[in-house]
Amino acid sequence: MRVGLIPTVADPRTIAVDLDDTLNNFTETLQNGEFPYDAADSLSEATFEEYLRKIRNGESEPADLLSTGYNYCRFKIHLSCYQKARARPDGVEFMRWLRRNQWRIVICTMRDLRRSNDCTKAWLKENDIPFDYLFMASNKIVFCKAWGIRHLIDDALFSIVHGEQYDVNVYYPILPVHQALPASSARGFHTFEDVKRWIQE
Amino acid sequence: MLKEFSRGFVRHKAKIESEEFGFAYLEQLLSDGSTLEYGHLADTRVLHKYKIVNITDCRMDELLQMHVMKECNVCRYFGADKNDVLCFNMDNNHRTNNTAITPEMSLALDALRECLLGLGCEPLIVTSGRGYHVWLRLDEPVENKVLFNFMVQAAARALLPLVIGGNDHRTIRFRFYPNIEVSALSLRLFGSEHANNKVFSRVLTPNVLLDEADSWKYFEHFVRNKITPTATFRSALDELEAGLSAVSRGSKT
Repeated sequence: MRVGLIPTVADPRTIAVDLDDTLNNFTETLQNGEFPYDAADSLSEATFEEYLRKIRNGESEPADLLSTGYNYCRFKIHLSCYQKARARPDGVEFMRWLRRNQWRIVICTMRDLRRSNDCTKAWLKENDIPFDYLFMASNKIVFCKAWGIRHLIDDALFSIVHGEQYDVNVYYPILPVHQALPASSARGFHTFEDVKRWIQE
Repeated sequence: MLKEFSRGFVRHKAKIESEEFGFAYLEQLLSDGSTLEYGHLADTRVLHKYKIVNITDCRMDELLQMHVMKECNVCRYFGADKNDVLCFNMDNNHRTNNTAITPEMSLALDALRECLLGLGCEPLIVTSGRGYHVWLRLDEPVENKVLFNFMVQAAARALLPLVIGGNDHRTIRFRFYPNIEVSALSLRLFGSEHANNKVFSRVLTPNVLLDEADSWKYFEHFVRNKITPTATFRSALDELEAGLSAVSRGSKT
């Protein structure tokens, strides 16, 4: 067995693909979706509305506490988005193309799979999206480097900026948040057709 | 002993925490026909966690052996309906410096231990990264709803000294295993090294924090001799509920 060794030779036909805002419309769902107040959550309606506004703005709670009412509320709203978000048709088609062409597919997400594994798998199945493995990683570049994965599709700024440094080719769907990106070798795409071409270069 | 302790957990399911990774390792891990539900790269260091299902009994024994040899940590899953163990997972709830045992944590732990002992339920208390795991073992499986109710009420008792003393009880995070609100929960078995700080899960007795060898001896003693009879457990729950009713009555008068 290998213990903590970074593979010297990367597997060329393995790809890691993010979910939120890469294969689905997470942010759009969060901004425009309806999230009804639930009195069972032990929050007043006014507090819930205030939390929802902050969650939509991507704000973190300033408190030096890990487990708080705000964090729980955010998790529940995100969980609801995971279920409601629509899959990108070209993304789904791309994933099926990967399968047909015998790529090893790793879904790599920042979601807390300890609590969202079931709904994530259900969504993938519902949309008939093939994959081999499902991984949760905050730092996807470290994950790809460690597992010898050369290609990563991910909208996260961190991955876009740091991929090159670790020999990970990063491809990202161009979103408004990417307008003022620092220079990097990561390639932005409008449709997954571009990615299909690039990973075969 | 670990096998005996694990008898009530979900049979063919475990989470493995390992420093090993890579597709070759994963294939080896799944070579008994088991399946990876999901993997997880930890935030703090290159440590991977693998939730695996359909593990054969033989492989589970091997994994427990590896756990004892410190080649990996094995975490087991609580049953969806009933369990013969429960655990209060007490964590320091701060974002930073959260491996420190705070005065509030010590106060709450002492209160919880006193509460449980007073009710005839002897716990196994084990250090765990940001706090403690407080285990109880029963002689037969009990419905999760009942176990959860017991833990909520006992935890409320444990936090009472903090509230009375004007401390912020939110600095301690209590999580209950099993949990009626979250299914598929797992916890590291005794004998593990914590994922973040690699510190062995030592046993804390009322008098002393035992070293590794003595912790194993105490664990054996606990598994052999410290099973709480279900009748005692149910009486303890009645007592907790009666206490809560009295407090509730008092607050209304």
